[in-house]
Amino acid sequence: MDRNSVRKFYGWFTFLGLLVGGLVVLGYYKDNEREWKGYQRAFIAEETRRAVTADQKAQAASIPIEIHQILLPELHRVDRCTTCHLTVEDSSYGGYPQPLAYHPLHEQHPFDKFGCTVCHGGQGRATTTADAHGDVPHWDEPMLPMKYIEASCGKCHEAEDNPSAPELARGAQVFQTSGCRGCHKLAGIGGIIGPELDKVGTRRSPEWLRAHFLTPAAVTPGSGMPPQKLADADLDAIILFMLSQTGETAPGYYASMRVIPSAAQGQRLFQQKGCIGCHSVAGQGGKVGPALDDVGLRRTPEWMVQHFRDPQSVTPGSVMPKFGFTETEAKALTDFLMHLREYKIASSLPSLLSPMERGHEVFRKYGCAGCHGQEAKGGVPNPNSKTAELVPDLLKVAEGYTKAELKARIMNGQREIAVLDPKRPPPPLYMPAWGNTIPEAQINDLVEYLFSLKPKGEDLGF
Amino acid sequence: MDAPLPKRLWKIFTRSYVGRSIFRVGIPESNLERSEAMVSSFLLHIQPAKVHRHSLKPGYTLGLGLISLYLFLILIGSGTLLMFYYVPSTERAYDAMKDLQFVVSAGLLIRNIHRWAAHLMVLFVMLHLCRVFYTGSYKNPREFNWVVGVTLFLLTVGLSFTGYLLPWDQLAYWAITVGTSIAGYAPIIGPKLKYIMLGGTVVGQEALTRFYALHIIVLPAIACTLLGVHLWRVRKDGGLSRPDENGDSIQRIPLGQLPQNKTYGLMELAHGTTPHVGKNPEEEVFSWPHLVFRELILFLIVSAVVLFLAIFWNAPLEQYANPIHPPNPAKAPWYFLGLQELVSYSAFWGGVVVPGFLVMALVLLPYLDRGRAGVGRWFARERALAISVFSICLAAAVVFTIIGTYFRGPNWGWVEPWKEQPAAVEGH
Repeated sequence: MDRNSVRKFYGWFTFLGLLVGGLVVLGYYKDNEREWKGYQRAFIAEETRRAVTADQKAQAASIPIEIHQILLPELHRVDRCTTCHLTVEDSSYGGYPQPLAYHPLHEQHPFDKFGCTVCHGGQGRATTTADAHGDVPHWDEPMLPMKYIEASCGKCHEAEDNPSAPELARGAQVFQTSGCRGCHKLAGIGGIIGPELDKVGTRRSPEWLRAHFLTPAAVTPGSGMPPQKLADADLDAIILFMLSQTGETAPGYYASMRVIPSAAQGQRLFQQKGCIGCHSVAGQGGKVGPALDDVGLRRTPEWMVQHFRDPQSVTPGSVMPKFGFTETEAKALTDFLMHLREYKIASSLPSLLSPMERGHEVFRKYGCAGCHGQEAKGGVPNPNSKTAELVPDLLKVAEGYTKAELKARIMNGQREIAVLDPKRPPPPLYMPAWGNTIPEAQINDLVEYLFSLKPKGEDLGF
Repeated sequence: MDAPLPKRLWKIFTRSYVGRSIFRVGIPESNLERSEAMVSSFLLHIQPAKVHRHSLKPGYTLGLGLISLYLFLILIGSGTLLMFYYVPSTERAYDAMKDLQFVVSAGLLIRNIHRWAAHLMVLFVMLHLCRVFYTGSYKNPREFNWVVGVTLFLLTVGLSFTGYLLPWDQLAYWAITVGTSIAGYAPIIGPKLKYIMLGGTVVGQEALTRFYALHIIVLPAIACTLLGVHLWRVRKDGGLSRPDENGDSIQRIPLGQLPQNKTYGLMELAHGTTPHVGKNPEEEVFSWPHLVFRELILFLIVSAVVLFLAIFWNAPLEQYANPIHPPNPAKAPWYFLGLQELVSYSAFWGGVVVPGFLVMALVLLPYLDRGRAGVGRWFARERALAISVFSICLAAAVVFTIIGTYFRGPNWGWVEPWKEQPAAVEGH
């Protein structure tokens, strides 16, 4: 056979062999050269710089370059953040720039139990800055800006229980007073005009929420939600509160950790367990047990905790039953009772309120203010409705309705709103039928409240 | 003249006791040894000792069948490596993809190789099919091997389609949802077929389990078997087709009709014809090195291309599959986009009649088009009618696929890809 053609073959083999070999080397190099290794080298260099003795130097030099990860099977997470953020638990790195910074205040949330992404968001499995911080295509949970970090507290903890998350509590407050529940359902309470908000935090970004509150129709064409006039701080707070609504449930170990003993929780317990049946506050309540108004002055917290564990052990002969409170609950109740005076309990216990006051609570709880305005004073736009393109105020319902009529009106709602101009789209807001949502007794209270709104001195105005 | 060093070392090895026990022949030096090298090696024996010059012309076959075979081998290798990490569970599959990307050594590279080789294989098997058609190579005696080849093409698409679901991301989930619903449009058997494929009415864990089993064992086993049949028949049907084949004096006698007044050697019976020693000897060359070396070069080229693509372009991975949040539009894998485009006009015609008719036409082609003219030549004038019909169908398929891929936006509406798309509107 022809020697030349064989030579040509060998030439091709050499060239293509080198090409494939070169590509394999390139592929290996690209795979091996990872961003996190640079950060680990910088950490080793810093440790070496700090080392004084020969022993310490040898120790620094022997730090391996390897992936660090926190396995969190219960949370369905693997957090590899500590591959770059190597010093989160080393307080001697306090004040260092990222990624070698110390993370203070993590005693309540140890890293090996909580990892990082459960609070901070981002992509725990990723090992490059861009992917891990999550601001990349096809990753829906980028890191939560520090401005909104308290939203993560709200994933597990009750907003009002957590003294370290004031912004979250403020957001919950703004949500309540703005009457969002008039249209939106959250945790099973609220109206049906807008979508449910139970998992809104997983669907929406802070930017989207901001745009949504200021001009709803800009991000949701056709949205009938009235633009919200909120102060900047309130706007941030309610965005934060929305981000906290992820619908995540805390599994196993985490569920047992989520209750923070606080006066707010104590108050809830005080109401739920019916303490007022035997004890009195501000003269209201049962006479079997002692009045509790000044109990904070008479008893120490230690005494009280022991009292909740076993009443007879501190007060022999007491008829108070053992309620079987957990330690957390006992602490929460103690907290509440120690500060009873500050909480003005008498004005917030439903059984001690007048129907009108209870009705005011109902008005707030179900978000009536969202459409009818704060204190039912109106002013919320409802484009193309015959009532001056506004949702009507409720100040003068006592003049137009009997109590029974008003009650029926609330229970049955009004789906069709009279239009101003038949050519334009119908008004977006309407009165839902609340009969299925609000218990009848509360509707009676609500009617009492609404009837009380009639401006004073106008009784004979007509 | 001194041989290069590697060759000398190889020679020393193959002549050693151990080397000879493995390779028998070593590097062949004479024509006898060249024949022996081909016949005595398991890997080489499926090919003839001598091969017709025409079969070696790159411009005739374009190496398309061989490229498809190499891609298949690369897929088996890379797929096996991926299996070491992959878990066919809706909860863990996506995490396995992320781990491959972020912590497994060369994990992303291997996944990229697998993805690229898979797309390329679908493409090259299609091209191979076109080559065989345009050179008239499906004609007698290769009718049945064409049918085997069409089956292999369908298996290739099936392999790619079943693999598409495995990453369990949005792309996978909705492509399979769309793809299987096209199958559901078939009359009578459609809904049942879809139910059997998915193991339910929607894409879920059962579908993933089934697609995984199909992808890693059922379809590859069938494909390997048929591939063996396909290659074996290439030889049994007289090697690759060539123009003078029907003109030469080989007179094929069907096995059952051999003259009874003669005795036959096994070789004659095997070929079903009289051996024609000395016929056209000058047109045939030894497979070693002419064929084997060319095949090796092609393998290196395919490897280089796949590696190059895999190093610089990553396989896509979208969000974790979300059954309540379909992308708009949800698109099937690219090779089904022509079908999806047709389905958008009419589910029955586009999803059932047209594809059913095309597959039947492909299978029956060699039995309908029996003319003997034009074998072994590209675009032979004698076959103008068949070529025109096939080309029109092919062009239509390409046009519909391009429309489905690039010109379809939200709600399958018409978009012009060179224009800026308005940002997708998020609904509640």
